[in-house]
Amino acid sequence: MKNLAFTVFLIFSIGNAQNKQILYDFAGLPQTLLVNPGAEISNKFYVGFPLFSQVAVQGGFTGFSAYDIFADDGVNINTKISVAIQGFGKSEFTELNQQLEVLSGGFQLNEKMYLSFGYYQEATVLAKIPRDVIDLLYEGNSDINRQYSIEKLSARAELLGVFHVGISKKINEKWQIGARGKLYSSALNINSKQSTGSLATTFGTNNIYKQQLENIDFLLQTSGVFFEDTDVLTPAYYVKKMLLGGNLGLGIDLGFTHHFKKQWTVSGSAIDLGFIYNTQDVKSYSLKGDFEVDGFDLNFDNQDPADYWNDLEDRFNEEVVLDTITSKYISTRPLKLNAAVNYAFGKKLDNCRFDTRLGLYSNKVGVQLFSNVGSVHTYLAATLFFERWFSKNLQAKITYTADPYSFKNLGAGISTQLGPVNLYLLADNLLNLNNLYAAKSANIQVGLNFIFYDKY
Amino acid sequence: MMKALKLILGIFAILCFQSCTKPVDFDQIDDAEIKANYIVTQAYFDLVASDFLTEFGMEIPLQTDVIQAQISGSSQKYIEKIEFTIVTQNSFDRAFNVQIVLFDVAQKPIYTFNPTIHIPANSGEITTTIEIPKEDISVVFNTEYFSFFVQLIPSTDGSSISPDDDSTLNLKSYVELFLNYKTA
Repeated sequence: MKNLAFTVFLIFSIGNAQNKQILYDFAGLPQTLLVNPGAEISNKFYVGFPLFSQVAVQGGFTGFSAYDIFADDGVNINTKISVAIQGFGKSEFTELNQQLEVLSGGFQLNEKMYLSFGYYQEATVLAKIPRDVIDLLYEGNSDINRQYSIEKLSARAELLGVFHVGISKKINEKWQIGARGKLYSSALNINSKQSTGSLATTFGTNNIYKQQLENIDFLLQTSGVFFEDTDVLTPAYYVKKMLLGGNLGLGIDLGFTHHFKKQWTVSGSAIDLGFIYNTQDVKSYSLKGDFEVDGFDLNFDNQDPADYWNDLEDRFNEEVVLDTITSKYISTRPLKLNAAVNYAFGKKLDNCRFDTRLGLYSNKVGVQLFSNVGSVHTYLAATLFFERWFSKNLQAKITYTADPYSFKNLGAGISTQLGPVNLYLLADNLLNLNNLYAAKSANIQVGLNFIFYDKY
Repeated sequence: MMKALKLILGIFAILCFQSCTKPVDFDQIDDAEIKANYIVTQAYFDLVASDFLTEFGMEIPLQTDVIQAQISGSSQKYIEKIEFTIVTQNSFDRAFNVQIVLFDVAQKPIYTFNPTIHIPANSGEITTTIEIPKEDISVVFNTEYFSFFVQLIPSTDGSSISPDDDSTLNLKSYVELFLNYKTA
């Protein structure tokens, strides 16, 4: 039970739905190109430390925190569960996202163009849970005439490898644009595309109650999930699937940076505009129909006895059709949109201290917006940030983010450069450091690069 | 630069030393329970005079009907109580008894709902609730046949139901399952 509780805590407490608000446009880090391929990068070339150039874990649950349930405060756990359920919104979502950059590198092609490339592995689990489903499980269906809707019930899970190569090009002193092509190799995909329908118990006419499934339409697509022989599911199998042996797809990232005034900059990006064509190990399930039952109508006909149960079952199977589909399908990647505007100010940096780095000013303050657009869930996050370049070797950024998890998410990041060795550490939800269990989400990114500039 | 680095490292150190957790007790999960009630609609009937008469106009004293049902036992351990609610209406000048008996796969009676539902003559809506206590619930999950026995009580004056009688005997029912999900 303790393990179960800890697993629940992990699911509820890690991460933040792929918003990389601290990394975005931070310190000229090479990894900023992964959130905006049109970001300005000034290094001559860089190599990410294999398997450690970006380790990112994000996740969370918008409903309640582990501390809400497991606080050792003398209050009965069932009271705390009840309070948490009462605070449950119309729907809540949970997400766990993990990214591991396996290989990463980049270099200047010429004065105006920068090429970057690499390979990373990504795993995501996302589920959206409507309040009606929670109430149905927690209270039952004894609320007569209530429609328990499954409309917002949806989930997505995927495990994939991503090969990518991108170009960032300086058009002129004001404009920088970039694009990144991606080749996805998916080992596993689960996608509930649509869900409509409701369940209700209403007052009947023939009987006291009548029970209805109305307009049920549910599609669950999977690839790489159901196998007759599960012995094949070894770590080597998943590695092979993520290295071009899986279901393949294509994607593109687009981005720009524009200095529209001397100290003002606007930037934006669209990440993972792409799809995966699922052709291997596909098994999907479709459930459609309407059904109404008011009970068994006993006719007491001994000459022709009815087979009530099987008749009901047959009618259910006719009216609510479950299809198993093995045809190929396309799954779209969740699109991430970033936009930012910032104002640079403060001490104008001299060439002595910043001779090889971007930026004329030591401080930046601005606003960032992030949106994750997906079939399961779409949401918006807004961030205020302050970035300080202490020197060419040390930069820091502080963020304050409002998102569906929290309106008071304080994040911070530092990037240091000692010789060619660059180390960065980014984390958010720092206001919950005094009680990590109370955090509804968390987001940690750490990485090590070898970055070389024209001169030191 | 070193001053700034020291400052930042100092702040991180303070945050790290401060980062902690307030006391939590994951063992509380063993005390967690979720109580939910589920209503499932059940049998109903509308019987008329011809249902109690043979083709020769003789009264049929006992009518039976059977529902063969396979009940899944997966949630049995979470059920604390089962309540059958039966609502009857009778416009006949005759009284009836309704008895529900459960049979196992060998067609051996294993449980009889208690009490027998008595439906007086010319009675309006009567609601009867029959509770199956926790200790008897396992028996229900061995049930293969739900049998409904409708007994026509003989008249005190020896009269019989007329084929032209437009009276009805109506029964409606539902079952409410009281579940208590426990983690321990």
